[in-house]
Parts: sequence; structure tokens; C-alpha cells
Amino acid sequence: MFDYIINVSGYILEGSIVTFQLYFVTAIFSVIVGIAGALGKISKIPLLESILSLYTWIFRGTPLLLQLFFAYYGLPVLGITLQPFPAAALTFIINYGAYFTEIFRGGIESIDEGQYEAAKVLGMNYRQTMSRIVIPQTVKRVLPATSNEAINLVKDSALVAVIGLGDLLRSAKVAVTRDFSIVPFIIAAVFYLIISSVIVTVFRKLEEKYSVYE
Amino acid sequence: MIKAKDIYKNFGELEVLSGVSFEVQQGEAISIIGPSGSGKSTLLRSLIGLEEINSGELYIEGISVKESGKKAYEKMGMVFQGFNLFPHKTVLGNLMEAPVIVKGEKKAKAEAKSETLLKKVGLSDKKDSYPAQLSGGQKQRVAIARALAMEPDIMLFDEPTSSLDPELVGEVLTVIRDLAEENITMLIVTHEMGFARDVSDRVFFMDHGKIISDTVPEKIFVNPESERIQSFLTKILSQN
Ligand SMILES: Nc1ncnc2c1ncn2[C@@H]1O[C@H](COP(=O)(O)OP(=O)(O)OP(=O)(O)O)[C@@H](O)[C@H]1O
Ligand SMILES: [Mg+2]
Repeated sequence: MFDYIINVSGYILEGSIVTFQLYFVTAIFSVIVGIAGALGKISKIPLLESILSLYTWIFRGTPLLLQLFFAYYGLPVLGITLQPFPAAALTFIINYGAYFTEIFRGGIESIDEGQYEAAKVLGMNYRQTMSRIVIPQTVKRVLPATSNEAINLVKDSALVAVIGLGDLLRSAKVAVTRDFSIVPFIIAAVFYLIISSVIVTVFRKLEEKYSVYE
Repeated sequence: MIKAKDIYKNFGELEVLSGVSFEVQQGEAISIIGPSGSGKSTLLRSLIGLEEINSGELYIEGISVKESGKKAYEKMGMVFQGFNLFPHKTVLGNLMEAPVIVKGEKKAKAEAKSETLLKKVGLSDKKDSYPAQLSGGQKQRVAIARALAMEPDIMLFDEPTSSLDPELVGEVLTVIRDLAEENITMLIVTHEMGFARDVSDRVFFMDHGKIISDTVPEKIFVNPESERIQSFLTKILSQN
């Protein structure tokens, strides 16, 4: 039994490489999309605001699984064929980018108008005000919501199993079918719990670091 | 030093400044008093570019605001009723931010200057504290020091003591009083009539978007020329 657990764990760990790749690609690029989207939304350029509102409305209002199917099975109909990983990464980046756009926009808008005025009368320009005064304070405020999304992403990443990507969950399922044992699912659950716990710890440390000033 | 000619400012339909004109000389301390909604804050905010005026001319140290925009504002600092300190920076960080980022001063120089200013406002021991750890009076003294760190020729104060507990008002007024003695040009919107009377060279009384009286404090407080001012003073003095 012990040997079997080690064996299957190794197999599932291999699958989790895809999960990790997807996780980090999505985390990095969706945060970038979110920052750009949030700055666009507060830009007071009406056309840009409308486009971004449409974007967040669609991607937050439809199932991620539908978006994933659309990218993998739907786009080929239109003549665009993507491999499973690029299709998954693209979908996740755009989907999570929409959530981060709204989270970061809310964070920026929660910063008191007086901060902008103080920066302005001290001679700071828009870029200096945003990068030195507004964004650093926003980071602290959006940490809890960002932490939630970071954990959701761990769990959502399992959806890619349905388009045939050999991720953590798919490896477990393959092992279950092959060995007719429930153990691989339990091991997969433990893996997910470990990953989530690490993420929670990282964010708790970050929140502690930022709590010095309040 | 400051010259304002026929300033008008509307918020939509509402006319808030209705032809304000005045001049302020180097080293003068001016108190601006008047009822709520008369346009005092709007006037200060217009002087430093936080509000755009609809018409009129404004010169700061001879520089036309219309022609050179931002450059004219560089000579001014402003202190707000709500402090508006940067909560994520220490006291020292608040003071050093603009000199380093805007003026490109060397950190060591900015730090030395900031420490001198903190000493002046009596807060040397708080330099590593964050704003949230300070009392209201301490916050406002930091805000004053932060404005001074940019070495302005003119300081604008918008009700600097109005959000403070009564026992903390004195320490802030003392700092402003010291500045008046150093001959920094100042415009102070205040409801502290005793203070206005003591420190100002002149008092502007504003009502309905106009300066309806521009005179020495003795005159306005001892012998107000209009019914309107008299009733305002009676009301406000009975509150204190
Ligand atoms: N951003 C704004 N938008 C619309 N109306 C405004 C705005 N700022 C000020 N006002 C209005 O302009 C008028 C003058 O306001 P202001 O703040 O200049 O008065 P004040 O003399 O400073 O009053 P207080 O003593 O209460 O501070 C008020 O009627 C106010 O409601
Ligand atoms: Mg006011």
C-alpha cells in the first residue's frame, strides 16, 4: 500500500506540473490585465470605459467552463485552432483579468480624494501620484480579495481536465480508472489542500507586512 | 505676491465665486472668515489649482496662472482640514516624498531638512511613526512640515484646526503663529476668531462668493462696518 501511494503520488505530481504552469502564467498575466483594466476604467475616457465594462460583464457573467469550451472547441469553428494549454491559459488570463479589473478598480476608487489633492499641491504629476501614493495604498486594500481569487484559481485550474490537459486532477482520474482505487483522488485532494494552504500563508504574511501602517 | 482680479467660479449652475479681487504682499498673513458656503475653501483651492476658475486673472509672484499654469503653483503649499497625510509612509517619509520625487533632491539632504522641520513643529521623536499612530494635532503639524519641505513662499491653510479636539487646537495654532513671525506669506481660512485677530495683518470677510470686507483685524472685530459681519461675529463668538 505504501509503495502504491508513493507511486501514484509521483504520477499525480507529474500532472501537477501543468497545473503549476497554468497557475503562474495566469497569476502573472491576469494581474497585469487587471491593473491595466482598472486604470482604463478610472481613466474617464468614455469609449474605453464602455469597452472594459462590456469585457468584465461578459467574463464575470458567464461560466468559466463555457469560456474554456469556447476557446478550445468554439474557436476552431471560426478557423482559430489552439492547443489545449494556450487555450486554457488564454481563457484563464482573460477571465481572471476581468475579476482583477473590478477588484483593483474598487481598490483605487476607495482611496480618498484628499490623497490626490495632497499629492497635487506638493507638485506630483499623475504618474507619480498613482505609483507612489495611490497604488501602494490600493495593494493593501485589495489583498484580501486577491487572496480569494488566488485560491479560486487553484480550484478552477482543475477545469482544464475537460479539454484533455493532463493536469493534477486528470492524472488522478486516470489512476483511479486504471487501478480501480479511490486513493488517487484522496492524494489529489491532499495536494490541492497543500497548495491552497501555502497560498493562504503567503497572503497572510503579506497582509501582516502591510498592516504596520494601520 | 498674489494678485487676483475678478475671479469667477461656478459649479454647474451654482456661482460660488462672484468676482473676487485682492492683492497680498510678501510676508502678509491674511485670515479669511465668513459663513459656511460663502466660497472660502473654493477661493483657496482656486489659488493653488485644485479648482479651475471660469474667468478672471490670477498672478502668483508675477507669474500668470493662465499662461504658465503649473509653474505658478510651485511657490505655494497647502494644509487641509483633514490633514491628508500619506498613511503608508512614516512621518519622515511624508516629508521627504515630494522633495525627492518632485524636486529630485538627494535623499540625505531631504532627510536632514525634514528632521529640521520636524524639530520646528516639535515632533522629532515621531519621525518613524505612521500617521495612524498620531493625534490629530500631531498629524496637522506633520502636514504643515510636509508642505514646508517644498520650501513654499506662500502657505494656504483651509480650516487647519476645525477637525481637532479643542485641547489640540492650541499646538497647531502655535506652529502657524511661528510661521507668521517668519514672514511667510499666508492665507488662512479659520473660524478661530481670537487667532485671526492676533496673527493677521488683514482679514477678508467673505459672503456669497465675494470679499465684502478687506481690512485690518482691529477694524473688523472691534468695529465691524456692516450688519452682516456683526451678526456673523456675534453668532460665532457665542458658539465658542
Ligand atoms: N465640488 C463641488 N461641486 C459642487 N458644489 C460645490 C463643490 N465644492 C463646493 N461646492 C459648493 O460651493 C459653495 C461654496 O463652498 P465652499 O466650500 O467654498 O464654502 P466655504 O466658505 O469653504 O464653507 P465652509 O465654511 O462650510 O467650509 C457651497 O455651496 C458648496 O456646496
Ligand atoms: Mg470650507
